[in-house]
Amino acid sequence: MRFNIAGQPCGIVTNIQKYTIHDGPGIRTEIFFKGCPMHCLWCSNPECISPAQELGVYPKKCVGAENCGYCLAACPLGGDSPIKFIDGELQPVKPDSRCQGCFRCAEACPSGALKLWGKEMTVPELMKIILEDRSFYLKTGGGVTLNGGEVMVQWEFAEQLLAACRSAHISTCVESALLCPTEHLERILPLTDILITDIKHMDSALHRRYTGADNTLILQNIARAAELGTRLVVRTPVVPEHNDSPDCIRAICAFLRDKVGAALVQYQLLPYKKMGTEKYDTLGQPYPMGEDYKPPEREQWEPALLELTRIAAEEFSLPAAAGSSGKLPL
Amino acid sequence: MAAATQAVRSAASITSEENLRLSRDAYENANRVDTHPLAVEPFDKEWGVAISGNTPEPSPFPRINRILKVTKKTTNGFVSPERAELVTQAYIDHPQETQEVKCAYGIKYVLERTPLYIYDDELIVGGLGCDKKGAPVHPEFGINWVCDEMRDGLMDYSEQRTHDYFSYTEDTMQRMEAIRDFWQGHTIDDLAGTLITDEERKGSHEGKSVFFCDAYIYCGAGHLGLDYERLLGMGFGGIRAEIEQQMAALDLADPEAMEKRNFYRAALLTNEGAINHCRRYAALAREKAESAAPERRAELLKMAENCDWIAENPPRTFWEAIQLVHLANCMILIECNGHSISYGRFDQYMLPFYKHDLFTGTATREQMQELIENFYIKIWDLNKLRNHVLIKTFGNGGIGGPALTVGGLLPNGRDGTNDLTYMVLDAHAHVRIPNPWLAVRLHANTPWELKVKTANVIRMGTGEPKIFNDDVTIPSMLSSNVSLSDARNYQVVGCVEPDVSGKTYGWHDCGHMNIAKVLELAINDGRCLHCGESCPRWEQCGKQGKRLGPQTGSLADMTSFEQVLDSYDKQMEYWCDRMVTYLNAVDMAHQALRPLPLLSILMDGCVENGVDVTKGGTRYNFTGPQGIGIGTVGDGLSTIKQLVFDEKSVTGRELLDAVEDNWVGHEPLYALVNSEHVHHYGNDDDYADELTKFGMDTYCKHIEHRKNAHGGFFQPGCYSVTVNVAHGVKQWASVEGRTAFEPVSDCMGAVHTHCCSHDVKGPIAICKSVTKLDHARATNGTLLNWKFSPTTVAGETGRDNFIALLDEYVQRKGMHSQFSVASQETLIAAKNDPDSYRDLLVRVAGYSAYFVELNEDLQNDIIGRTELSFD
Repeated sequence: MRFNIAGQPCGIVTNIQKYTIHDGPGIRTEIFFKGCPMHCLWCSNPECISPAQELGVYPKKCVGAENCGYCLAACPLGGDSPIKFIDGELQPVKPDSRCQGCFRCAEACPSGALKLWGKEMTVPELMKIILEDRSFYLKTGGGVTLNGGEVMVQWEFAEQLLAACRSAHISTCVESALLCPTEHLERILPLTDILITDIKHMDSALHRRYTGADNTLILQNIARAAELGTRLVVRTPVVPEHNDSPDCIRAICAFLRDKVGAALVQYQLLPYKKMGTEKYDTLGQPYPMGEDYKPPEREQWEPALLELTRIAAEEFSLPAAAGSSGKLPL
Repeated sequence: MAAATQAVRSAASITSEENLRLSRDAYENANRVDTHPLAVEPFDKEWGVAISGNTPEPSPFPRINRILKVTKKTTNGFVSPERAELVTQAYIDHPQETQEVKCAYGIKYVLERTPLYIYDDELIVGGLGCDKKGAPVHPEFGINWVCDEMRDGLMDYSEQRTHDYFSYTEDTMQRMEAIRDFWQGHTIDDLAGTLITDEERKGSHEGKSVFFCDAYIYCGAGHLGLDYERLLGMGFGGIRAEIEQQMAALDLADPEAMEKRNFYRAALLTNEGAINHCRRYAALAREKAESAAPERRAELLKMAENCDWIAENPPRTFWEAIQLVHLANCMILIECNGHSISYGRFDQYMLPFYKHDLFTGTATREQMQELIENFYIKIWDLNKLRNHVLIKTFGNGGIGGPALTVGGLLPNGRDGTNDLTYMVLDAHAHVRIPNPWLAVRLHANTPWELKVKTANVIRMGTGEPKIFNDDVTIPSMLSSNVSLSDARNYQVVGCVEPDVSGKTYGWHDCGHMNIAKVLELAINDGRCLHCGESCPRWEQCGKQGKRLGPQTGSLADMTSFEQVLDSYDKQMEYWCDRMVTYLNAVDMAHQALRPLPLLSILMDGCVENGVDVTKGGTRYNFTGPQGIGIGTVGDGLSTIKQLVFDEKSVTGRELLDAVEDNWVGHEPLYALVNSEHVHHYGNDDDYADELTKFGMDTYCKHIEHRKNAHGGFFQPGCYSVTVNVAHGVKQWASVEGRTAFEPVSDCMGAVHTHCCSHDVKGPIAICKSVTKLDHARATNGTLLNWKFSPTTVAGETGRDNFIALLDEYVQRKGMHSQFSVASQETLIAAKNDPDSYRDLLVRVAGYSAYFVELNEDLQNDIIGRTELSFD
């Protein structure tokens, strides 16, 4: 568990998104947790992977060193600052061992060119924001969705936040890849109304290659969650040439039919999108699928995705859906 | 689809036996029209998301599609000289008459002599005395600008005029020049100019544009609705009898009675003109029938019969009623030259005819649906001449503001939704043209089915309909001394304004004040920023050491934030005084030169009182100018309070200098005031929202309940429609991060500067911030514009969450909202100009995101999505 400077337990959050309508029922507030043990090639939230706070750089927003230079003035390293300007233009900041991570530069920046990825927040701070939209949850059956990154990396904090939501009568969803100790999951599940998770591949070796992690624990956890009666929404991001073959989807479907069964609310097949690349840029990192990777045109992937959805629905009798904008059959 | 198969049969080609058979089911169900929607389309019919108008043959009725095919989708038309000549002739022929009677002869001449047109396929007749998209000239209000613009090439397409342009012939130009001299010194423009002094002029549209009062000078009286129930109940014959009866009862020894007799004479003349106008259409339809094919001949003869009957008698059928409504409205447009002559609560006053036709088998639902759609196209054919300046504040207007209201509470407090409510909305989906401007009234007990219908039409992305909230509008009207049953019976006029149709002469939207300019003067000791030789008033003002407004202190010297608020309050009082004076002068000019006898007989109370509507003859008499730049003022005050007084990170002098320099050399401060580091309105942040409320309330305080010149009082409104752009062009930079000449904030919305949008937290935060303002106090109306991406509202999930947002807005007492579901075009524009579209929320995959935060490829992908998108 992390503690802030005042000694209060806190989480580290990259983003709070209101009026989220596709990650769980109704209108929801979604909290993105920082830190993830996996490294999926297609990850669209690279700022959520490292558990530590990071500096994001948007050079286009910068006013320029001559006009402003507030970041340099704020940096305790003075002339040794890792923040560099060439011809007055802000450069991407490389992680630097000298940097103490005080992020005074981001605080001083008036234009948002330096952005702090990850903010320490306590449960009361988050609850204040969550409660702002309570009337919208009540009208729509919405609530809170915890997402990431990987929620389970900060499972103790998540548990406290979910408990606070429970006592405020706010519905909870957790979206997690479930690469976590089962006993941690068992602490979270009683506080979770709907668990959203995903299966990227049934083949362990390929799963390791694409995500950097084995899938054994993940699959165990999914089965365990189902066994405990948790309502599950399971997703597969259908990535061309990675997991888009009918047999690959059939294997996932067979698992869902046999191990999840009636606990499955919906199986969603999501189309791959090349996104998050601008966030990789702010971190000075390359896009893992390759900068030049071109996803297929809509004319190709759309019918293919519909066919996979048909397989799931007809061959396996699963409550399958293409995309996530359909209503959850709750 | 049942509608499509039945629709092939046109209204007049079906025999009465067939009619009875076709409507038998409807007859069975007619007792239930109040509760169960039995429109032509199912209540939850979906037309797609963000497809906007891009569908060929949208109507199930082939006739409507045929008419649409020959209907131009632009607003440009041509100048028609006949009206101006006929009015001039009437004045020349009756030099001895009073102004009221002269005006009456003017309108009578036009109605009896102007050219008439009947078009193929159409079932309804009526127009402005010129061909489709033509616009008549109204010399009573001002003719010089018409002649000058034709001469100087500013009327037709040019670089200064790329939309709303008008063609004209050499002949038209000469004919207008020929009557120009006759009107010199006798127009509203001339008289209003005489009545005001430089004291009022200096801050007006003729001076430094703190406020604009030009709408009712260059256009006529408008922004009103007729008493449709009175007309449909009595007919022009019944109204004539009432006038004669009142006239006979006068005691002419009483000097007031002389005035009334004068009014009644004028009223009778126009009434006769109106009757003859209807008869002329009947005659023309008969003439056309002679050479028409058999099926069309039957239609034309039926149309002739309709016009003959309604010339004097109250209509009996839906067809007759809708014909009379359209003709009456056109005649008022011919008389008034006003914007926004609105159609009232169409689903209420037409309901008896709808029920009658179903019960008796006179018409089927499909036939009535077809008539409504034809009626919409007839409205779209109307046009109005505007000068090249006015089109910039009122872009792409066409006739402008023909609002039509449905839904909402009945005078007895029950919900009034009925079949016609749905049919009116379906008709829009079937024609997809910008007219009429539809308004749906919502309240706590609006049926769910109507919300679904409304949401589905909105999701098409045409921008129609707007929604109005009974639960705040009715109390608001009560505060203006409107009776409870009248308040419940309100319609929406034009863009924004609540109004009791046929009982209100409201002068809605007669002027508007840039309250952001007022804040500028309040922090700069009454002087404009950037005061100097470039100002047209330099010689008489700045050069002589004078200033535009009163000296209320400079931010550089102020020691507490209360002093800022106090200074703003004092400046506001000063400028409101001047705008009120100006508007009352225009009002007096209208009364003196342009009484409206035809309108008077179609409004409640004028005949009874024997007083023309311009002089306060009807029940409610208001004057409604708007406050513009509410968000700009809110963020301005918030910036000053936070940076200068709370954090003391900037001095008042530094902030003023930065704005005076248009932020050049003050880039970090410019970035800061535009950043999330400063409290901004629109983010559900009380700090900024409270100050925004203060900014708006101060305007309302100095306008509300001030006496006006036609026997009533002023009502403040809080919306800009599009004039925030015109005001911005006249204003130097401002403290919240505007650079010089950028638009000020629109309506009740948050600030969007060239740097960025100040609202960054999405639709819920906007909903909550905006509803912290006191909408009920803005008795002349408020408006919030929403922008959604198609994917946010797609599917049942999108629809239901959208309805929840509407419900919440209603519950929180927001008055009025309009929605755009962004089209591809908007998304492309957003891609090219991200800073103007910061709050455009889009559905990505697995989550929603702000469109402009996405990379180009993904943006392109979203642009490529269709209404069937499921990702």
